[in-house]
This record gives sequence, C-alpha cells and structure tokens, in this order.
Amino acid sequence: MRRAGALGAGPHVLEADGIRLAFGTRQVLADVYLRVQTGQIVGLLGRNGSGKSVLLQTVFGARATPDASVRVNGRRAVPAFAQPGLINYLPQVPLLPPGASLRQAARLLRVDAEQATAGFPELRAQLGQGPGELSGGTVRLLEVLLLLHADTAFSLFDEPFSGIMPVHVEALALIMQQAKQRKGILITDHRYAEVLPLCDAVYLLHQGRLRQLGADPRAELRDYGYLAT
Amino acid sequence: MNSLATRLRAVGLFYRSVAPFMVGTSVLILLVVLWPALHEGWASGLVLQLLLVKLATAPAVWYLSEQLRPDQYWFYFNLGVSRRFLWVGLVLLDGSLFLGLAGALVAAFA
Repeated sequence: MRRAGALGAGPHVLEADGIRLAFGTRQVLADVYLRVQTGQIVGLLGRNGSGKSVLLQTVFGARATPDASVRVNGRRAVPAFAQPGLINYLPQVPLLPPGASLRQAARLLRVDAEQATAGFPELRAQLGQGPGELSGGTVRLLEVLLLLHADTAFSLFDEPFSGIMPVHVEALALIMQQAKQRKGILITDHRYAEVLPLCDAVYLLHQGRLRQLGADPRAELRDYGYLAT
Repeated sequence: MNSLATRLRAVGLFYRSVAPFMVGTSVLILLVVLWPALHEGWASGLVLQLLLVKLATAPAVWYLSEQLRPDQYWFYFNLGVSRRFLWVGLVLLDGSLFLGLAGALVAAFA
C-alpha cells in the first residue's frame, strides 16, 4: 500500500468520539462516534441543519469542541489538519483561493495536476486559470480531484458532487473507488442516489446522533424522514 | 517542497488577498507623514513610530477579513497551516515591507 504522508505504510483507522455540540439550546451533536478506515468510503447523510458539516469540521480540527477525541490508529490527532499527511477536507463553500491558478494551488497541495486530471483531459487547458475564471461545477470537480490525489490518509468531502454534471459525477465516483485503495474517504452529499452505491458504510445523522444504516438504507432513510418515497 | 517552504508560500498567498489594503496603508503613511518629515528635517526616529502605527492597523484588517471572508482559511488548513501562523506571518511580512519601503524612501532622500 502506498505511503500516506508522514503516517507510514499500512491501513489506518480514523475514529472520532465524544463530539457534542450545541447552538444555544439546540443540541446539534450528542456524543457522536464515527469510524473510517483505509479502503472504505463512508457516507454521511442527514437533513439540512442536522450537523453534518459541523461534524466534518470537528473531525478535521478546524472547529474546537470540548471533550472531542479524534484518533488515528488509536493515537490522539487534534487538530487533525495540522498533522502532515493525515487528512484533508473539502468544505461546502469554494476551497481554492482566488489569488492562485489551479496549477499553483495543486503545487501547494503537492499534487501533480496532470495526473489528477488524467481522467478529464478537457480540464488540462484550464489549469493555468484561477477559480474565478471557471464555472462553479468545473472548479468543484477540480477541488475534489486535487484532494483525492493529495497524499493524505483520509479525505473528508462535504457536498463533493454539488454543481458537477452527471457524466462527471459518474467518472468521479470511479476515481473515488480507486482512491480508497490508499485512503479512507468520508462523504456527505444530498445526492443519495450516487452516494449509496459508492459507500461501504452509511451513517445517518438524526437528532444529534449517528446511526449506522443496515442492508436496506433506503427504507431506514424513509423511516427517519430523509426520503419521502 | 518542504513543509516550511509550503507554509511560507501559503503566507505569501494569504498576504496577496489583503495586499491592496496593507500596501495602500503603508504607502499612505509614508507619503503623508514620512516624506514631509524628511523634507522638513524632523524624521529622526520617526520610522519606528510609524511602524508601530502601521502595526496598529493590523487588528482592523483582521476584523474586516474575518467578517468579509470567513471561509478563506479552508485551503490553508489543507496545507496544515493554522490561522495564527497565517496572521503572524502576514504581520511580519507586512512590517518588513513597510520598513523596506521606509528605508528606500530615506535612502532616496539622503
């Protein structure tokens, strides 16, 4: 297995637990436990405002919450983003800074932009441009590709398929399947039809608690009010 | 590229996002205060005082930046760079540029 940053070879296990968060009187997350390991794509579903983004940001280390514990292979990793080669995170909002071209951003992330866009040759000509010069869907696709190809043990994606056209979503799903051979991936996205077949495990964040869904996730998603039919 | 080089390049990229305001403030202070002082002969020891004035503008830039661009940090977090490192680096870089500009102005006048 390929080396993931400074973590060394071998499969890795990312665990987060004790995550509690409240906004005012509203309890958003209540003692959540989450586990992702190398070779897995884990899906995180939940209604709007259920705390999915907050959970990802907490695991990433950008949001400090008391009592939260994030561990990799049993060792504490807080804040996770500060540990070289451990984790990267795609936020719901645009990621790339406006002052750099996509190629410059890739270089900073230590990603070979040509290799990252191998499956999308039409994007190559646009690598010299800044994110403000491209369509939102194209930028989103490039952001996901850069983070997928970055040498980190884990990738957290918040709405990775947002704005991306269906043919590219299908291609991206295949690339994610390949990438999970060397990293663990956590995805949250409302495009459940694309997310469910992609995932090895699916969690639903409901009323602050994380529930792992079983063999028939659609039925459970209906039961919890995430799907209507 | 090693980790330190990545961090320094991240600070440079971050500085570019606020450079128009930061450099504009520097140029304004130097042209409105230092340049006349050099002409009138009361510039002795003024540069360090002006540097303190310049540094005192940093909290205002920080506040506006936090209000207007709260999501600007995600890319830098993905480089392993914290908010604190970015802002400390930015203030050091901006202070150095200010001193460099002031030094150039004094040298040009001498």
